[in-house]
Amino acid sequence: MTETYTPGKPIWCAGCGHFGVQGALVRALEKVGAEPHETMVLAGIGCSGTIQNNVSAYGYHALHGRVLPAATGVALANPDLTVVAAGGDGDGYAIGMGHLVHTFKRNPSLTYIVMTNETYGLTKGQRSPAAGPDPAHNEGIDSVRLGLSIPGSSFIARGFTRQAEQLESLTVAAVEHANAGRGFAFLEVLSPCVTYKDLYPQWDAAAYDVDEDPAYDPMDRAGAFATCQRLDDEDRIPIGLIYTGNNESMEARWGPGDRRLNPGGPDDRDVLHGFLDGMAS
Amino acid sequence: MSPNGVTDFNVMVAGQGGDGSLTVVTLVDRLMRRHGLHLYTSRNVASRIKGGHAAALLRGSDVRRGCIGDHLDLLVAFDAEALEIAGPRVGPEGIIVFDSSHGEPRTEVAIDPTVQRLDIPFGRLSVRDLRRDLFKNSFGFGVVTRLLSVPDDEAEDVLSERFNRLPPRAKAANIEALRRGFEYAEEHGIEQGQGRWRFGRAQAHGEHILASGNQGAAFGFLAAGGRFFTGYPITPATDVLDYLGPRINKLGGVVVQAEDEMSSINMALGASMAGVRAMTASSGPGIALMQETIGHLGSAEIPLVIIDAMRAGPSTGMPTKPEQSDLDMLVFGGNGDFPRIVLAPTNPYDAFEIGVIATNVAQLYQGPVFIAMDQAIAQDSVTVRRFDVDSVEVEPGKVVDAETLSGLEEYRRYAVTADGISPWATPGTKGGLSLVTGNERDEWGLVSTEPDNRVEQMDKRERKVKTVESLLPAALRGGDPDAEIGIVGIGMEVGVIIEAVERLAKSGSSYATFMPRTIWPVPDETIEFISSRRIVYVVEHNAEGQLKRVLAAAGAPPDRMHSILRYDGVPFRPADLVAALSERASVA
Repeated sequence: MTETYTPGKPIWCAGCGHFGVQGALVRALEKVGAEPHETMVLAGIGCSGTIQNNVSAYGYHALHGRVLPAATGVALANPDLTVVAAGGDGDGYAIGMGHLVHTFKRNPSLTYIVMTNETYGLTKGQRSPAAGPDPAHNEGIDSVRLGLSIPGSSFIARGFTRQAEQLESLTVAAVEHANAGRGFAFLEVLSPCVTYKDLYPQWDAAAYDVDEDPAYDPMDRAGAFATCQRLDDEDRIPIGLIYTGNNESMEARWGPGDRRLNPGGPDDRDVLHGFLDGMAS
Repeated sequence: MSPNGVTDFNVMVAGQGGDGSLTVVTLVDRLMRRHGLHLYTSRNVASRIKGGHAAALLRGSDVRRGCIGDHLDLLVAFDAEALEIAGPRVGPEGIIVFDSSHGEPRTEVAIDPTVQRLDIPFGRLSVRDLRRDLFKNSFGFGVVTRLLSVPDDEAEDVLSERFNRLPPRAKAANIEALRRGFEYAEEHGIEQGQGRWRFGRAQAHGEHILASGNQGAAFGFLAAGGRFFTGYPITPATDVLDYLGPRINKLGGVVVQAEDEMSSINMALGASMAGVRAMTASSGPGIALMQETIGHLGSAEIPLVIIDAMRAGPSTGMPTKPEQSDLDMLVFGGNGDFPRIVLAPTNPYDAFEIGVIATNVAQLYQGPVFIAMDQAIAQDSVTVRRFDVDSVEVEPGKVVDAETLSGLEEYRRYAVTADGISPWATPGTKGGLSLVTGNERDEWGLVSTEPDNRVEQMDKRERKVKTVESLLPAALRGGDPDAEIGIVGIGMEVGVIIEAVERLAKSGSSYATFMPRTIWPVPDETIEFISSRRIVYVVEHNAEGQLKRVLAAAGAPPDRMHSILRYDGVPFRPADLVAALSERASVA
């Protein structure tokens, strides 16, 4: 067996929510049967942006905010890979927000896990996009409702590191959605930064598990939005599988189709000559 | 008066953008190609969809030329503004065909007294007789073909060919308009076969195509196995997106139009990292936005081809005008030190070859390669030899497969090697698990700030460029190799330099010319050329002499180099350069 890199040890503080995210991801990858060499974990910048070092897979450390375009390129280039993008709300909802909006719209088959903690932890505790202007209320950017508002979106879920079993099953569902070629699986995880902003007490009180609500229908986009809005008005946060639907994936529309992207097909030269014929007349 | 033979003929058709008046030039273009002339065509448009002065320029010559000539022989002006702007550019014995439907220019236009002006109200007559202003094009073509002594049935043939896809009624109306053109010419005393000019016997030049630099580079990328392209619309780079969009899928490839330049380059990066040859294209403002990722490609060792179709800056500048003012950014831009390669095609065929080289070299050295083209090289369409696609080789680089890996004891993505290039396992390959990052890292890809490792990794990356240097395109040379005065220029300057030096040689002044195709790293041959002359004029389209600055930074003696600069958005004509060089010779 060829020796490759030894996965790193997490750099996170004791009690950090990210341990729970990593655990759920590792178990989910095992559960869905994703071979390490057929898996790529891409992460952004920040504490969350080190998760790829700790999981045994192909790993990539993206530029700040750019993990989704890079992951989209990987997913289109090699549709057989299990592609997991990860980052924090600072990486994904500030500098990277334009890409998130367009990734919902394009719907490429990959999983995106956002570890939301309302904090720029690595630079020592500045407020991040999920934090509201008024610390007493949840008035930060809510990417769950954002995703629901974009017609192309196909999978939206929110986990909470306090609820490990649910987080694992949501991670499995997300990876399965992407691997089935059904499109972009967006999983936000409430993952508190215990050093700069320990939101465990608040989120314990605010979390509302829609998976436990028999009246909640995750196939109903409008209903999902209405529930999220109502809960927000009550200072509560919905967790669970928020929405899943069927929208055409990016690969189906823009991808290589039956042909692989690598060159060298016997008829490549004939095709190229055809292009030249077109420029000759 | 017997007709003049057409050996070097410059035509301009000008009117308002978007009204279809430029169609005439595509008809003349077909006609000239039938007669075996080389073509150089250029457009001069405003940055708007419709309206604004728009002109198409066409030069047909029996010798291959790389620029538009000094003077116009024929101007077809569809409005007064066109006459005002282009009238003074018509040379002695030239002809102006003016659409007088909407009146005279408001100001006096200085036109050479030997120029003949034909006033024909194409627009008004087309509306009156054919009910659409648009038919003025075919009408005008009828007059133009008479001036060129082309038999009427040949003119009709060219028109039919061009409008082959139009519905029969529209095609018939165009032919009717063409015939009205013949009649009108007749009324003005221009009989069939008795025009001012006449084509010579058609010469065979082998198989030719009409292509722009943007198309050449895009085609070269495809030929060298490029299968993933991303772009975000920006003038004058959008042509690459337009060219590849409907074509790459036929080769099993993908084109994505991204939401911005950062997304564009990072998607291409992702595909490349996954083992597919990738490219993106933009212009100055977009390349500026991509800078962070370009440094990242250099650090993380990911191949990518980046086309920069350079327009006049700074900032949004003059989007449709040519300049060579991104050189500093391409050579020196970005944070930190990282390897990069900057190549500059001198014509569309060259763009094809450089497209191939860039794609292969990016793959070989695992880093960014720029194809830098000023707007004229990027967009002007020229007849060139058919691209020699059969001779293209697709270089695999140091990609390792599962079988090779299974025979190794260990695999390190950033292994320090003698040539600086590390074996590369792409995701999906068994036995090649690796970490890719723009942070400094150890050979395994794990983040490290250990001082010795840092130096080893930095030196390894710099070494890679040396390894591929011999594969980079050599400069074009011309003129008198022993001359003590040299001329250096890239891109759009090349065609002008060649023609100007040819003329100067006839009047007894000799110059050695050197036209680099590899800008960075500056090849030894460039330094040697400059060092071995008494004076070298560096001809550039920018205000600060950026190429000269780059050459000096690489060790070319700065005191020998003198700038000839232009930054008004207008290309040099050969006569401009002859004048500039003669003036300097008289004071030197």
